[in-house]
Amino acid sequence: MRSTKIKIGVAFAASGLLALMLTAAAIGAGSAARVGSGTASATKSVCGLGTGKKATGTPIKLGGIDMLIPGVDFTTIGKVAQAYFNCVNDNGGIHGRPIKYILYNEQLNPAQEASLARKLIQSDKVVGIVGNTSFAECGTNAKYYASKGFVVIGAGVQAECYSTPAFAEVNNGPRYSNVGAAQALIKAGVKKLAIASPDTISAYADGGPALVAQKAGIPVKIFPTHLPVTDATSQLLQMYQFAGEGGGILLDFTPDTAPAFMKAAEAQNIVDKVKWGSSTPIANTFMAGQFSPAFDGHLWIDNEFSNVDPTVGPDSALMFQVLKKYAPTIAPQAFGQMGFLDGKFAVNALMSVKGAITAKSYNAAVRALKNQKSDMLCAPFYVGNLAYHIPNNSDIIVDYKNGAVVVKQTCFRIEAVDKAISQTRVWEKKFHLQG
Amino acid sequence: MSYVLGFSVFGVDWQFVKPFIVIGLAFGGVYALSGVGLVVLYRATGVLNVAFGAIGAAGALIAYYLLNHTSCPDWLAFSICVAFGGVVNLAYGMIFGPAFARRDPLVKMMGTLGLALILLGLMAWRAPAGGAFARFLPLPSSSHHFTILKTTVSLTQVIAIGLALAITTAVSVFLRVTKLGTAMRALANDRDVTATLGVPVRRVEAAAWFGSGLACGAAGLLLPDLLTSLDYSALTFLVISSLAAALIGRLRSLWVTMFGGLAVGVAQSVLSPYGNVSAYRSAAPFVLAIVALLYLSRRRVVTISRATG
Repeated sequence: MRSTKIKIGVAFAASGLLALMLTAAAIGAGSAARVGSGTASATKSVCGLGTGKKATGTPIKLGGIDMLIPGVDFTTIGKVAQAYFNCVNDNGGIHGRPIKYILYNEQLNPAQEASLARKLIQSDKVVGIVGNTSFAECGTNAKYYASKGFVVIGAGVQAECYSTPAFAEVNNGPRYSNVGAAQALIKAGVKKLAIASPDTISAYADGGPALVAQKAGIPVKIFPTHLPVTDATSQLLQMYQFAGEGGGILLDFTPDTAPAFMKAAEAQNIVDKVKWGSSTPIANTFMAGQFSPAFDGHLWIDNEFSNVDPTVGPDSALMFQVLKKYAPTIAPQAFGQMGFLDGKFAVNALMSVKGAITAKSYNAAVRALKNQKSDMLCAPFYVGNLAYHIPNNSDIIVDYKNGAVVVKQTCFRIEAVDKAISQTRVWEKKFHLQG
Repeated sequence: MSYVLGFSVFGVDWQFVKPFIVIGLAFGGVYALSGVGLVVLYRATGVLNVAFGAIGAAGALIAYYLLNHTSCPDWLAFSICVAFGGVVNLAYGMIFGPAFARRDPLVKMMGTLGLALILLGLMAWRAPAGGAFARFLPLPSSSHHFTILKTTVSLTQVIAIGLALAITTAVSVFLRVTKLGTAMRALANDRDVTATLGVPVRRVEAAAWFGSGLACGAAGLLLPDLLTSLDYSALTFLVISSLAAALIGRLRSLWVTMFGGLAVGVAQSVLSPYGNVSAYRSAAPFVLAIVALLYLSRRRVVTISRATG
């Protein structure tokens, strides 16, 4: 009997404590500074309407598909887009209606990619698809999206993301990012170039920088790499033996995989014997913290976006705030910039819809997007009614210094080794896509 | 010097191959270390422990967590990694060993496969692959380098090779000289007779489980450094190479197992720069094991008898 009383007492005490904690949390949340609210200006970016009031209307459904395999995690992009949508929902939503974002993961499986795209459009009835990134999903679903009139705002990897009308990517993808890195390495004076990408995208991703090297008369060798990497040291030695002292090694890997090669370079004591190029994904302070000072001054990382730094401009500052509040486990990085820009441009399209928001009206609004400025981009984003979209084709070069990422070369146009790039620049002028 | 060891046949010089031999010897040292652990356990208990890699990987992940999310000092985290191998192996042996004691070796092995799958599942659950950033478990020794014959060698690589030699020597001496070692050898010959002679079988088996677990923990500590990443699935399946080394030693000879492990490591590494065969280098452990088994059993006489009556 006595023990029952004790139990009841403990239960009451625990309930009281819990209630107090919840109240404190609620008060704390209410008094915390609101992220993304206020009036947008040249020095301030806001989430959506920036009202600071929660959206309560009927949700508008958007969907996304990101690849997650051992060695490569693209779900960060969708998660940051989700964080941005959460911020928009806390700031008035889309004229009072919140965004409901449905994000699926796929394991580099075409059947899964195809079924998830159909699930999003036919079962979940999303009005638009945003934040997709995968090694293969563009190729799998390009025709399906086009048949349904969808234009995906995402971050691309494979060729079909940049050669079909169904995708408008905020990034320039591994091929063009590698082109920029190869340009920088050649400008820095390398006499030979070794390039490595995941084997599933190597032919496309490494083909561009190989063309840059060939055009410059520099011997080049491609090392397709199977993921997950189990013999980084052996492969790196092969690349080093090809490139030789003073040569260039271009690594095109995400932060899951690139560190294995960089650690191997440290272990083999060859960091200062070659010039290191990379595509965008390792341009973040987390990586710089790990590989600085060893790699300081030895890196030519092509960054498709501005430096990941809150002082760069209002969008960059807002991304840091959004990550801190809505996705605190995600470190600021290029994948975060991709997710943020995916979310921002999708919201801009939604905001511009006059009348009912349907799949048809949203995707028409996406196609109408042009001259979308952001301090994260060298040139404005656009979509337009084009056969394909490569709106991001100007980059910067960054390096590590004392644990930070520093700009080595400001905005430059990547070399038009592909016809698609020169055609894109013709369209940009002809249709005034960038103002 | 450029055409030593016949490598010129492939148009590749010695200078080119040297670093791959060093890498291979280091990996081989870890395979050898694990292989010796496998053989000791098999000889004492009849269990071929295929959970070796998974146990090592789990220990490495624990050390990674301690180093990156707590203020645990390096030495303690590394010690816990090694001790974890011993404790988990011992716990499995004590809990499931008696139940499997009289079962077929295949059934015993399947039991350890279950342990490997459980550990893999736990690791996938608590530390999923991906997460945007890679995991590392670098040892302080990886920042120390030497140049031997114009080839860069890290202290970790030296430790891996040295540890394999040291452990093989120590275990060989232990099995010959000590009472416990003699009991282990006796168990390997006949469990029932050994028990009848008054040898505390459970205690001797416990020592074998614990000792081989420590070897597995040490391998789990060294491999992420040599691989330059902490990928638990890669670590788990590296048991295959250790298994091949143990097979080369016919699950009996510690020294042949050690040299088998080194040979497997070198073969895998040296094949990697050759584009035509590089993709097949993962088959190297078992090709070597088959060749070694055929060679070692070349003088065996197969007796065929016909039932009469």
